[in-house]
Parts: sequence; C-alpha cells; structure tokens
Amino acid sequence: MAEVAPAISANPLLRLPGVAIVLALLVVAFAIAAPGFLSRTNISNVLVQSTLLLLLSLPMTLVIMTEGLDLSMGAVLTLTSIIVAIVSLDTGSMPLGLLAAIGVGTVFGLANGYLVAGLNIPPFVATLGTLGVAQGLALIASDGQSVVGVPRSVSEVYLAAPFGVPLPIIIGLFAYLAFHGLLYHTRFGTYIFALGGNREALTYAGLSPSRLLIAVYAVSGAMAGVAGLLMTARMNAGHPTAGLGLEFDAIAAVAVGGTSFERGNGWLLGTALGVLAVGVLRNGLNLLALPSSIQVASVGALVIIAMFFDGLRSRP
Amino acid sequence: MSAALPIDQGTSRDNSSPPLLELRGICKAFPGVKVLDDVSFAVWPGEVHMLLGENGAGKSSLMKVLCGAYGADAGEFFHHGEKVAITSSADAKRLGIAVIFQEFSLVPYLDISQNIFLGREPKGRIPGTIDRRKLYRDARQVLENIGFDIDPTVIVAKLGVAQQQMVEIAKAVSQNARILVMDEPTAALSDRETELLFGLIRRLKADGVAIVYISHRMAEVFALGDRISVLRDGRRVGEVDPARTTPDELVRMMVGRSVDMTYPRTFATAPGKKVLEVKGLSAATGISDIDLVVREGEIVGLCGLVGSGRTEVARAIFGADPASAGRIVFDGREKNGGPDEAARLGVALIPENRKSEGLALMRSVGDNLVLSALGKLFPSGLFEPRRARRVSDDLIAKLRIVTPSARQTVAFLSGGNQQKVVIGKWLAAGARLFIFDEPTRGIDVGAKAEIVALIDRLVAGGAAALMISSEQAEICHVCDRAYVMREGRIAGELARAELTEENIVRLGMHHG
Amino acid sequence: MTDITKPAIPARVFLSDDVVQILYRLLAALLICAILAISTDSFASVANILNVLRQASLLFFIASGLTLVVLTAGLDLSVGANVALSACVAGTVIHQSGQPALGVLAAIATGAVIGLLNGLMVTALRIPSFIATYGMLWVLNGLTYWYMAGEVIHGFPPAFRQIGSGYLLGLPTPVYLLVVFLAIGTVFAQRTIWGQEIYAIGANPVAARLSGIPMLRRLLLVYAVSGTMAGLASVIFLARLNSAEADIGESLTLPAIAAVLIGGTSLFGGVGSVFGTFVGALILTLVLNGMNLLSVNASWQPLVTGVIVILAVWLDTKARRRRL
Repeated sequence: MAEVAPAISANPLLRLPGVAIVLALLVVAFAIAAPGFLSRTNISNVLVQSTLLLLLSLPMTLVIMTEGLDLSMGAVLTLTSIIVAIVSLDTGSMPLGLLAAIGVGTVFGLANGYLVAGLNIPPFVATLGTLGVAQGLALIASDGQSVVGVPRSVSEVYLAAPFGVPLPIIIGLFAYLAFHGLLYHTRFGTYIFALGGNREALTYAGLSPSRLLIAVYAVSGAMAGVAGLLMTARMNAGHPTAGLGLEFDAIAAVAVGGTSFERGNGWLLGTALGVLAVGVLRNGLNLLALPSSIQVASVGALVIIAMFFDGLRSRP
Repeated sequence: MSAALPIDQGTSRDNSSPPLLELRGICKAFPGVKVLDDVSFAVWPGEVHMLLGENGAGKSSLMKVLCGAYGADAGEFFHHGEKVAITSSADAKRLGIAVIFQEFSLVPYLDISQNIFLGREPKGRIPGTIDRRKLYRDARQVLENIGFDIDPTVIVAKLGVAQQQMVEIAKAVSQNARILVMDEPTAALSDRETELLFGLIRRLKADGVAIVYISHRMAEVFALGDRISVLRDGRRVGEVDPARTTPDELVRMMVGRSVDMTYPRTFATAPGKKVLEVKGLSAATGISDIDLVVREGEIVGLCGLVGSGRTEVARAIFGADPASAGRIVFDGREKNGGPDEAARLGVALIPENRKSEGLALMRSVGDNLVLSALGKLFPSGLFEPRRARRVSDDLIAKLRIVTPSARQTVAFLSGGNQQKVVIGKWLAAGARLFIFDEPTRGIDVGAKAEIVALIDRLVAGGAAALMISSEQAEICHVCDRAYVMREGRIAGELARAELTEENIVRLGMHHG
Repeated sequence: MTDITKPAIPARVFLSDDVVQILYRLLAALLICAILAISTDSFASVANILNVLRQASLLFFIASGLTLVVLTAGLDLSVGANVALSACVAGTVIHQSGQPALGVLAAIATGAVIGLLNGLMVTALRIPSFIATYGMLWVLNGLTYWYMAGEVIHGFPPAFRQIGSGYLLGLPTPVYLLVVFLAIGTVFAQRTIWGQEIYAIGANPVAARLSGIPMLRRLLLVYAVSGTMAGLASVIFLARLNSAEADIGESLTLPAIAAVLIGGTSLFGGVGSVFGTFVGALILTLVLNGMNLLSVNASWQPLVTGVIVILAVWLDTKARRRRL
C-alpha cells in the first residue's frame, strides 16, 4: 500500500516527516512540564477530543490536495450540530438527526463544489461566503440560543464505551480507515491526486475534473454532518457558535501533517498525526492552566510554522 | 537563399502494403498564417520516420493534427488504406495514435502503475475500488514489454526525466498505440539514457509499431531514421532515404527559401565601446558558460533552435533569473541583481510573450508607457498625471503608436502597436541596452519592418541591442553579427560576412 | 507606414471604465436608499441617515487599507483581529497614562507591526497571503483574549470619545475622518508612484517584475499600510464604543472584505479604488440598516453578507474574462 510520506528535500533534518518530530517534541515537552499529562485518563481524553477534529481534517486533506480549501467547515459543523439537536429532539431519533445533518452538510458541500468548479470562484472566497451563509442559518435555526434536551441516544454517542474503548475513538478509527480506503483503493481517490497534481491528465483520460471536484467538496460537507452529531453528543446540546473556527484547526492539522498546498500530494497518516499534535498542544496548554486564547494563538503559530516548512520543502 | 533541390528522392521502402497511416494534402490555417500547406505524409509499421524542420516549419502543427488536437481544414486521412477522420483525441486514440509530449501528462504523486492506467484501472470486487494487485501485475507486464526495468510502485515524482518519459511511452503502449509520435525525446536525456531509449525504440520497431520522430540532432536522425521528411514553411519539401543523403543536404532543404524581405537597416561601420560583456554566465535554467559582447550601435543576434537557451540567456543577463556562475558587466559596472537593478542601470528586456510578460493588459497605454520610468520621472514619489500624460503622448507620437489616445486599454491595440508600447516603456526609462526576445513574432509584415526600423533608430542613437529571433532571415538581414546557441551553450559566433541562414542552422544543430 | 487594424472597441473619451463602474455602484446605493425610504418609515429620518453614515465610515476605515492589499491580488484576513488588538492596547495605554494621544500612537504602532509581520510572511517566508493572514488572525485573536483576560476596559475621556461618537456641525465626526481617510487613500493609490506600481503588480505581477518594479518592497509596503490603517481605525472604534474588549474584531473581517469586493476591487488584482470601497461600505451598510429597520432577525446578517460576497466575486469573475 503506497501511503508515502511527502518528498522531503535533501537536508537530512527535513527528511523525517516534520509532523512526527513536532508531535514527539510536544509530547516530550508536556510530559515534562505538565503533571498528569501521560496518565491514562488524560491520554484517553486527548484521543476522544481529537476525534472531532479528525473527522474534519480527513476530508480537509482531500480538499487541500486538490489545491483548494474549505473555510466553511466550522460553520457547517455548527449548523449540522444544531440540526442534529433539533431533529433528534423533535423525532426522538438519533439516526434521523444524523441523516438530516449529513444531508444539510452535503448540500453545503455541493454548493461549495459548484462555486469552485462550476463558477470558477477561488476556493477560499467561495467557502468564506458559504461560511457566512451557514453561520447565519445556524443562528436562525437555533434562535441564537442553545438547543438543549437532546435525547439520551445522542449523548450516548459520546459517552458509550464498547469493550472499554470510548465510542468516539472507534468512530475516529473507522473514519480513518474509510478515508484511507477511499484515497488509496478507489478510482475516486486516485483521481483526487490528479486534481491537484495534473488536472489535464484527467481530461486526457476522458474524465471530468469538475464533477470530481464537486464530489470532493460534497464529501467534506457530509463529514461535517457526521461531526455535527459528535459535537452535539459531546455538548449534550446544539450550540449556535460552538464549531466556528474549527476549520482552522483542521487546516493546521493537515498543514502540520505534511500535505502540501500544491501539486496534489496528500498524506492521511500525516493528517492524523497532525490532529494529534494539535490535540496534544491544546491539552498540554490546558493542563498548564493557560487560557484558551493562548491555545488559539499557538495553533495559529503552528500553522504559520508548518506552512513555512512546507515552502522550504518544495523548494530544494 | 539557395535554389530548391530535387524533391521526393524516393525511398527504399517496399510500397506494396498500404501504410499504417497516411495523410494526404493536409492544410491548416490560422488567421493570417498557414501552418500546413498541402502536406502529405505516410508511415509504415515498424519504421522510424524522422521529421525535420526549422522553428515554425509546421512540425508541431502536424503533430497536433495527428493526435486530433487540431482539426485539419482540408485533406484526408487513411488508416491501413481505409479513409478515416481524425477530429478529436478520441479518434486518434482509437486509431492507435499516441503522442509523447515534452510536457508530460503524468500525475506527480501517483505511482507508475496508477499513471499508466489512469482512467482504466482494473476493478476490484467492491464497486468503485481498484484491484491493486492486478494493477501492479498489468503494469509490470507493460514495463517488461518495453524493456523498462523498474518497480511499478515508485511514485512518479521521484523519477528522473528520462524515466518519466519511459512511463509516458509505457502508457501509450498499454493503450495499444501502433503509431507513436515523439517530439525531441532525447532533448533532456544523457547519452546513456538516450541509448536506453534507442533500445526501446528498436524493440517497438521490431514489434511493428510505427514511430514519427521529431529531432534536431543529425546524429540520431541518421542513426535511427528509416525515412526523413523535411518541412519548410508548412510544406513538405522532401522525403529522403538516410542512406542516400547527407546532413548538409538536409540543412539546405530545411532552409532554402526565396523570400524577399526588405529590412531598413544601416549597419554600423565602426561599432562603439562595449556596453555589455558577459563572461562564463551559467544558470540553473539550463545555460552554461556563456560569453558574449555587445557594443554601442550594434544589433547582435542570438539565434539557435527553440529550446537552445536563448531566452534563458536573455533573462539571466536582465536579472529575471538568478545566475549560478559568471559575470555580467554593463557599462563597466558589475551587474548581479534582479530586474529592478537592471531597470535602474539602463538594461531593458522586451520579453517573448508581450501580453503575459511585457504589458499590464488591463491598464492603459499611458500607464504602461511610464511604468518603468516612474522613479526617474517622479523622484519625489508624487505622481503627476499630466506630466505622465505628456510623456506618453510624446512617445506615442515618436513611435507612431496607433491608438485613439493614451487612455486606451492596451489590450485593444494590435500586436505591432503593443510591441511598440513595450519598447516605449523602456525608452521612457532611459535604457541603453535593449534585449529583444522575438520582437517581431506574431506581428504582420508591415509592422515587422516598422519594429526593425525602430530598433535601427535606437542603436543609431547610441544604444545597443541583443536580438533573439527564430527567423533566420530576419537575423541575417538585421544583425551586425550573431551568436548561435546550441543546447544551452554558445556554439559559435558569426560575423557579418558569415551571417547566412545555412550557417546558423548548421551551427545550431548537432553535427556528427 | 501600413495601416494597423483599428482597435476593436473605441476608447471611452469622457469616462474611463473605472469611473463608470463607480457610477453604477452609486446608482445602486441610491436605488437602495429609494427602496428603503418607501418601504420603511424611519429610513429617511435625519437620525437614521447620520447613523448610516457613521456606520459606513467605521466600516470604511478598516476596509480602506485592505483595498490596497486586494489590489495586488492578495488578501488580509487579519484586519478585524488587528483592530481588536490595537484597540485593546490603545485602551490600556489611555487608561494608564491618561493621554489619548499616546493611545493613538500605540494603536498605530500595533497595527503597523502586525501589518509588517503579515508582509514579511508573504514576501520573505513566501506563505500565500490568505493563509498567512488567516494564521495571523488566530494568533492575534488568541493574544487579544489572553491580554484582556476577559476584562473590559471602558470609560475614556470625553474629548477622546468625540472622535467616534461626537458631532461636528451636525455631522458625526467619523464622517469628517472618512473624508480624510478617503483623501489619504486615494492620494496614495492614484497620486503616488507606489500606487501606480501597486496597480501594475495586481494587473500583471510577472510584467510588473520584468518592468523593474521592486516586488518584495512594494508588497511589504502594502501589508504594512493595511495594518497601520487598521490600527488607526481601532482608535475610532474605541472612541465610538467607549470600551475595549477582546471580541470586537470578530464580526469585522467579513464585512470589510465584502465592502472591498462590492466596491469593485477585484480579487484578482489590478482593478478597483479606495473610493469604490467607500461606496461598497455604503451599500453594505444600507442593506444591513434596511434589514434592521424591516425587523429582520439580526441572525440573517452574516448570511446576507456571505451571499453578497459570493455574488460580488461571481460578477468579478465574469468581468475579468471580459477585461482581458
């Protein structure tokens, strides 16, 4: 299975996947500085909390591989989490809530895809616009307030622990395997590499780059829907602004993980490690009782550093 | 410049079986220029048909017609003697025609197998999935067929150019291509890699594949070719048997023309002092060890085949690309900075693609004309529109730029006038050395003469010019002397007396 | 001399394309005014119109520097966060020193430093502008929240508050400042050589470089100016809100970008003007004001802004094809 770490320049220091180094450094740093970091409960915590980000980062990897970006993910996540809350509240059914969320998310994904592939609007602007739309809809649907009282079946998603393993971690694992299969074992996944690396090759082969691109964004939207269920389960409510800004963490995870913004090069394992890195960073800073504002700033700095190294890598 | 030679010397090919592919009377024209004029061409299975011609002779147009990228305006196609149509790339694929382009159609981060079978992946059991084991098996088979020993799971981005080319060929072969068209395949290869490629070509020949091979290297034309067709000005001027011709004869066929061009030029009798001196210039863009000199009052030509490095030399001198070695001395001063330093010192570059590199198309004529001179005209930093307007009106008059006013968007000007704007921009900036890259390309005949006259006036006034052109006739008529480039180096210098088209082509091609 | 073919489209003798575009937009603004005047009771009141002018001015202040960045085909997503941090810094300085002037200087300095950092990331580190400034946005966000530690600074000297909330000869003070900003912005863009070069960089960066324009220096300048203008804007915000807290920047970035795009400045660079951004700010403010007056749920505002942004960019994409 050709899951290949991105090509690194000749400098031996840069030869190791950067994310592995970053993750290792962070783990070591926090193991020393923060008491209780390496405890079993804390590790479980980190993993569980990272699942949400993983669900967003996996499809974000695909989008970035096509030289695009999905800035609307956080807002769509917020909207779908509210949808889950409302639908499951009204119908008493968690699966229905999930379906509704996936449906709404996919619609946004298709809209993004159409704006980018059909109308040729630059991805970051197109998704910035849909961000506003999703954000607005989230506020309207929730009337500006949290939607509370979701059925037990929803919160169970976050709390259940079959065989002692928290369900979220299992969900995350499944998602990772699913995306791995998608990217490396299906034709669609193969074509994603071409969307970023050499779009003409697809046209020569008689395929339609536009349709494929729309599909990529649709997948991204659908996953935001799945993540919506998880978030509502975690908070036991649908909150009108909870997920905003999470797309940035996702971009950070992908960038740190080594997926380049050019040329159609993606590394899912890198993204997973990147998610862990962001999760460890936030968790560690939390344990050190540093306010969430510093966490946010650190993630921002992480992205900038990751982008800088990404630039270094692609310029030998 | 020399009389046409007997055409159709006939070949030693046995003509009893119909050719694999035959083109008859193909014509193709674009507004203003006929790229293919009644061209007939045929290939038989198992032969290498060499295609020779100068820049602009029609080789790449013929290639594009063959693979369905261009539709021919007139003419017929025959496949195995039966009439067919080639109007799309699907048609060409169906007939087994595959073109190996110089810019590859490979996806960098997929492996060799995935690239070979892009769009045709073997299906796995779950719908939508790929049977990877079969993919690698099939890929290994194809690679074996062409004698390319490599692991099919290697990512293409990690391959060298030669290997990527092999993958392209494997791709074509796997699609049962029976006619391969290759455009200068050895251009980026080392000698050893070239040998490997030749070995592959011989295998394909033995397999009955027909190969149309475009080349500028005499050595391989004679080593590999079974037949040679020469194109000139869109026509096929001859088809010869390599065993019965010589490189010189081929050169003469490529070049011979009886065009009457009047270029208004007064040649410098005594060239002035050195304006530019380049020593040992090398750059990562593919040029090495360039030495040249340009003096006041001279128009020095820089010729050679497409890809020989002329534009790269121009850009390196101007500072658009960084130099890796060597010295550039302008007016006695070392120059080693970028384009902003060049502009300040008085070095100008009129780029090959005036629309994408020389002009801000959406801006006005006036805006473009003063762009490089802003610092000199307005040292305080404050921009005075009226003064800028005066300067541009002045230039419009001096250069006779046809435009309703200086406020006209430059995109709406004709090619010739756009070129004048680019030149005018540098005049305003007070340039002393003008580097022209294909100054008259894409401009109609009348305007061409105007541009040349303009350059003539410039150097007569004390400036110096370095001119790149692919039209040998133009170089011969316009330049005081010329350097000929070949594969990134200077192959030679021709003084005025030696400046003939044949000499240029001879020096520019790989001899021996 | 041969007759070169006549240009396909005759030159506009009286009005350049840019002026025409602005006129269309002014017309749109007037149309919106007319619609609102008819459909609501309170639109046409003096109080409301002055309010609209004040709001539009505030929006314009942030968007003015941003215009220059967009003109080079770049983006500065950090402007909102810049305003927030600068305002908080200025607020702190004013409170502790009692000197509004020092506060103003602090704000400008903060804004300028942020702008410079953005510029360095784009030029020296070669990070695409939207990522670099997006990263900066979050860094600034975090820094601001941490710095303020949940507190709010409020209560500034009345003289200072006049800048944002006061009236001069019947018009809100920000409107006068608007004229000043407009003048400075327009002079810089149209009447300095740097402005001319910025337009050229946006129109064709390759040709600009090959024409001898020092690309890195100019791009650095543009981001520095954008940041400095945001710093200046934060002072006016501070005066208007009479308080500083960490979250004032969050709802500013999207409307600022919207104002620039609606005003006719193209995301692809080379086309647009500071005056256009003013008109864009006006149009957006009118739309949001109208929504308020028509009692539309405020939650619709980001949605409407998002839709307008998409529309504006789509129109720009089409116009771009026509331009070249």
